[in-house]
Amino acid sequence: MIVKRFYLFAGAAAVALTGVSGTALAQKFDREVHIAGFGAKSGVVRSFGVNTEGMMRAAADKINAGGGIKLGDGKMGKVVVTFYDDRCRAEEGISVIRRIASGKFVVAVGPTCSNVAEPLFGILQKTVDDKSDSGLQFPIFTDTAIKGGLAKISAWAFRNVPNETEMYKNLFAWVKKKWPNLKTVYGGVEEDFAHSRFTWYKVMDKQAKAAGFKVLGRAKWLLADTNFTTQVRAMKKAKADIISISSHPFTLCGLLKEMRRQRVKYKVLIGLTSSSSMETLQGCARQAKGIIIPTSFAPVTAAAKEASAGGAKYKASADLHSAAAWENMMVLKQVMESKGVMAKAGTIQADRRKIRDGLAALKNTQGLIGSIKRHKSGEATKPFVYVHAQGKEWKILHDPNK
Amino acid sequence: MDYVQAIVDGLLFGAVYALIGIGFTLIFGVMNKINMAYAAASFAGAYVSLGIAQVVGLSGDFGLPPFVMFLVSAVAGGVFAYIVYLICFRFTPDHYELASLMATIGTLLMVDEMVVQATNGEPQNYPEVLQGIFDNPMLEFSEEFAIRGDLLTLFIVAVIATLGLLWVLFRTKLGLATRAVAQQRMAAQLCGIRVDRTNATTFVIAGVLGGLAGAMIGAVVGTLLQSLVVIPLTIKGLIVTVIGGLGSIPGAIVGGLMVGAFENVFLAIRGVTERDMYVMLLLFVFLAFRPQGLFGRVAVRD
Repeated sequence: MIVKRFYLFAGAAAVALTGVSGTALAQKFDREVHIAGFGAKSGVVRSFGVNTEGMMRAAADKINAGGGIKLGDGKMGKVVVTFYDDRCRAEEGISVIRRIASGKFVVAVGPTCSNVAEPLFGILQKTVDDKSDSGLQFPIFTDTAIKGGLAKISAWAFRNVPNETEMYKNLFAWVKKKWPNLKTVYGGVEEDFAHSRFTWYKVMDKQAKAAGFKVLGRAKWLLADTNFTTQVRAMKKAKADIISISSHPFTLCGLLKEMRRQRVKYKVLIGLTSSSSMETLQGCARQAKGIIIPTSFAPVTAAAKEASAGGAKYKASADLHSAAAWENMMVLKQVMESKGVMAKAGTIQADRRKIRDGLAALKNTQGLIGSIKRHKSGEATKPFVYVHAQGKEWKILHDPNK
Repeated sequence: MDYVQAIVDGLLFGAVYALIGIGFTLIFGVMNKINMAYAAASFAGAYVSLGIAQVVGLSGDFGLPPFVMFLVSAVAGGVFAYIVYLICFRFTPDHYELASLMATIGTLLMVDEMVVQATNGEPQNYPEVLQGIFDNPMLEFSEEFAIRGDLLTLFIVAVIATLGLLWVLFRTKLGLATRAVAQQRMAAQLCGIRVDRTNATTFVIAGVLGGLAGAMIGAVVGTLLQSLVVIPLTIKGLIVTVIGGLGSIPGAIVGGLMVGAFENVFLAIRGVTERDMYVMLLLFVFLAFRPQGLFGRVAVRD
């Protein structure tokens, strides 16, 4: 009987304690801070959106586990992430951002595609406080869309994407130093994709020449191409020392497989930043072996490893794009706390302005693999490393910061 | 020699277009309707073969020998084609011309997105045609001229598949029924031919060919990515059908090879950005001067 009473008492105490702790947990946050994410979650580049969303949610979990965001009146705000799909289409991206801006969100992280970012930034107010400009006054902090120089379109647009010009400038200089006998480069470009096209013509080609290499030519193909025989034949004929490919995983894999079939010989193979992802390893790990790619993310620090593990819980793969979403969330926490965001229904527009001003005032932020320099233009210069494909993973080949 | 090489490469790859074109033309020939979901269902077959190989996990890098995967893809293509038939043709009103067309477009987009959702849009590694038998087979005649062994194999497979189809069409009762329905549906029905069953069988045959084509494309590229290639392949298949002549199987074969060679030659001469423009120009030339295509019948009042 005594034993039975003891169990009853213990059970009641446990239930009561659970209730108390549950109440305490619910009371830990006074308000909610709504952050929107948007990007491609369907269509060809669905993986971008899946990864970004996962990393945003993982970052929100970390922030909330640490007590949330300290608001302007000293209360604590819980970060709530809502993610929208723009299908990597400009018209849908614009529609999504209008919907986000008409709601309770104080800031948005996205988009994932440059072809969405460019027109979308165009509908934002160009200059702050310009009363003649009826553009949207809503802060956007981009994580993935990487095409160069887009943040200058609007004072409300900020990006935390790597500077590819810096990356390839350093990479070609490093290759030149490491293999001084190499003289020639042959390029390959996915001609109809904004990012890959920009990176070949404005970055790789120029930086290869600047490093003293002779560019012998370039092969071109389209994003939906399935046959690369003619292009690879031209590549083979050129007999270049270095092959530099500006292309996304699908055509990169098709091309690499064709290069292997035609036994194209080269000394160094360089790839596009966006290809340093799991998609490439999923599609053609064997053929991609050794390809060197500069990337602004690799799990080399404790913070980077934590972010990577956090994203994995949401089935997100941490790469140079999605890791930036995590960084953005941490930067936004810092900005909201320093600017005293209130997160009240009546302060949404004021909060948005505070976040914009806070982002614009940043000089440096802490990234996952090092310090990130922020520029007045809204762009960033991020630390990077060179990785190469080895088996089923990307391994660090060289860290230029060391 | 570059152009000869380009023509040969194009002709060999054109066999894939021919297989896709045959599927379109076969269905059009029998039902007088276009199945826009054909290439999507064909590629879905290749994905099914990859999925089954991974689940079975018997041998090699992929879990099944490549030729078994190609067969699985062909069978899955046939099953998908039958489902498409039921959804888009069997139960859509016959008298609304647009009903089945729109249904197949909807199915194309739906199948496309289903594959994207299942794979996160990531490219999937697919076994090469001769994987495990020859490593990167290449017949090198000189430094200037070589033939890709896998493309040659693909070409041979396409020829065998086409001969098999022709045998079915011209040497079996099923083929007789199919041709009868294609020529005069009502008369065939009056002769006791079960039109619905014949239509369904035609869809399955076309689907098997499509599944094989999907697997072959995956094999020669070495990678599957449905969302990127299905719509361009659907367009190529339609171009091939128009150039060859709607409803003509020899036309689809010649049209497929012709389009393959044409696009490769223009790729070599004018570059990739203008390539498709010239293929479209070829289509316009046919539409303007020979609308019935190479082997199609001139449209006359029935």
